[in-house]
Amino acid sequence: MHNILRLSVTLVAVAIISAALLTGMHNITEPVIREKEQREYLEALEKFFPGINEYETREIEGDQFDLVYDQDGEKLGIMATVKTQGYEGTITYNLAVDTDTEIIGIRVISHSETPGIGDVITTDDFQEQFIGKSFEDTIQEGEDVDAVSGATMSTGSMISSIRRTVITIGENILDMERKAFALEGLADGVYRGSVEGTYGPLTVEVELSDGRFQNIEVIEHNETEAYFVDAYPEIPEKIIEEQSLEVDVQTSATLSAERIITAVINALEEAPESGSGGGDN
Amino acid sequence: MAEHNPYVDDLSRGIIRENPVFRLLLGMCPVLGVTAYFINGLGMGLATTAVVIASNVVIASLKNYIPAQVRIPCFIVVIATFVTIVEMVLQAFQPALYEALGVFVPLIVVNCVILGRAEAFASKKPVLRSLVDGVGVGIGFTLALGILALVREIAGQGTIMGPDPESAILLFGEGFEPMGLFGQPPGAFIALGLLLGFANMLFKKLNI
Amino acid sequence: MERLLSIIFIYILVENFVLQRFFGICPFLGVSRKMETAVGMSMAVIFVMSMATLVTWLLYTFVLIPLNLEYLQIVTFILVIASLVQLVETTLRKISPTLYQGLGIFLPLITTNCAIMAVALLAVREEFAFIEAVVFGIAASIGFSLALVIMAGIRERLELADVPEVLKGSAVTLITAGILSLAFQGFRGMLTL
Repeated sequence: MHNILRLSVTLVAVAIISAALLTGMHNITEPVIREKEQREYLEALEKFFPGINEYETREIEGDQFDLVYDQDGEKLGIMATVKTQGYEGTITYNLAVDTDTEIIGIRVISHSETPGIGDVITTDDFQEQFIGKSFEDTIQEGEDVDAVSGATMSTGSMISSIRRTVITIGENILDMERKAFALEGLADGVYRGSVEGTYGPLTVEVELSDGRFQNIEVIEHNETEAYFVDAYPEIPEKIIEEQSLEVDVQTSATLSAERIITAVINALEEAPESGSGGGDN
Repeated sequence: MAEHNPYVDDLSRGIIRENPVFRLLLGMCPVLGVTAYFINGLGMGLATTAVVIASNVVIASLKNYIPAQVRIPCFIVVIATFVTIVEMVLQAFQPALYEALGVFVPLIVVNCVILGRAEAFASKKPVLRSLVDGVGVGIGFTLALGILALVREIAGQGTIMGPDPESAILLFGEGFEPMGLFGQPPGAFIALGLLLGFANMLFKKLNI
Repeated sequence: MERLLSIIFIYILVENFVLQRFFGICPFLGVSRKMETAVGMSMAVIFVMSMATLVTWLLYTFVLIPLNLEYLQIVTFILVIASLVQLVETTLRKISPTLYQGLGIFLPLITTNCAIMAVALLAVREEFAFIEAVVFGIAASIGFSLALVIMAGIRERLELADVPEVLKGSAVTLITAGILSLAFQGFRGMLTL
């Protein structure tokens, strides 16, 4: 009995000393860690928005958006802190845009992409191609910005995350509306549009008449079949049904669905105005 | 060498004769896991060294007060405490390294090298000798991690002192295409396997 | 459901604990010499790992977080794992002596198996929900067992091979593991959560 008591007392004593020591250490290091994170974030804010005076935080779907104002209370832009799934793990980054959603800068805070391969997302070469892109651009892989070969998963996921973030900022914070496609003005006809996918191009044929989508067909694609079946023919059907490109996208086939939509947009850009007599394009 | 001086013996044992990695094959998880870059390997080695020295000293000084039946749980708590302290310090003052080492920092607690030294040495020997033993084992472990990380970084990235582009030194000029495999898991196993073979050969030649 | 299946697939093949993440290397090198011991160790790991994830997750979510004691994570987790192993050992000896005969000798080795600690820490770091954490623990342990059993199969054959003297033992095992890991690289990027 005496022995058990001694054993327990020893164990408890060791545990208490340990806990006390750690609490002390925690109280010393915790503020240092917080302050450091805060300072780095403020430095980034100042770098992207030199005239910053104060900012106001908003949270949308788990991501943090800071609205940045200057001394006169004029809005300078928005700094988003976003998490996205990369090739190996979560990528956390800051995206700074001005009041027209034009991208000012990108700062990768943490990632666990493959050293020497996926970590190109931290390089200036990769990040600089986004600068100046905005809500009006679609920020599509292969169109406005390039994925890096050998690291298509890491870079592709950054590209689509940045696109989503810009759209969220544009729609939810700045109340912008995307350039509506005035189908009415477009000449009847069949138009083709392509987009570069992960494994090769995806091409659609869009039939327009009376300013309405009549038929949309994918005539060429290199998507993974298992995912692609979730997007096609469902997405074209939805577009025709709603006569709109703002359709809900199935989560299991986000990439394929977004590519179809972009290809349709590209096809529409080929279409001449109906009044212009339909010259060659 | 002064064979009779126990301190010299304690120090050299962990580095050469009972090198935790090359001879005893202990604590292999971090050895493979964090050695894609030299800086990370070195950082991990030093963090482990700090823990093994501190736990050796504390355990050696407490050994008379801890009953034998609960000694293992007590050792574990002591080690875990120091690991947590190391984790906090890294997070506060070396955030880049902390981020790069990831979950391998808390995993120092299950590094068999540390519990092994506590049980086999520190719980029986005086404080000062345990300290020296900890230093020796720490150096031995760091040495192994450093060598492997150096080999892997040079072969896998063609740099030393990466991955931070500011400190990284390109060794072979722009035209060099590194063997990316060595930066990745298969390369870690293969590089360590070959290095072990090389170490075996060396030990045999030197008759250690 | 889809997410749970992804977790299972990812942690058995894509992010195999031994071959891709380097957790549990010591037992992987230590007990992969014979198929029989490999299977015994695998069973013990599957058992303890699933239970450890369950207990540590509950402890972290319902005790450490409410009390703002997240920084005691390492100390509590390692103590939980150590006592869990002790508990399993004692119960097994009383309830099923035959099972104890099979697994018993592997249990003490498990406390310092870093795969167990890793699974407990990662379940919290990846912010898994309860069910996900449990499934993660099971999947990770199956992944560990898979690597261990494959390796044992190879090593039994390797015994007869003419390996250079200096590479005998662990060195050639590591190189073999490297080639095995290379094969598992084929699963990389197939799925992410």
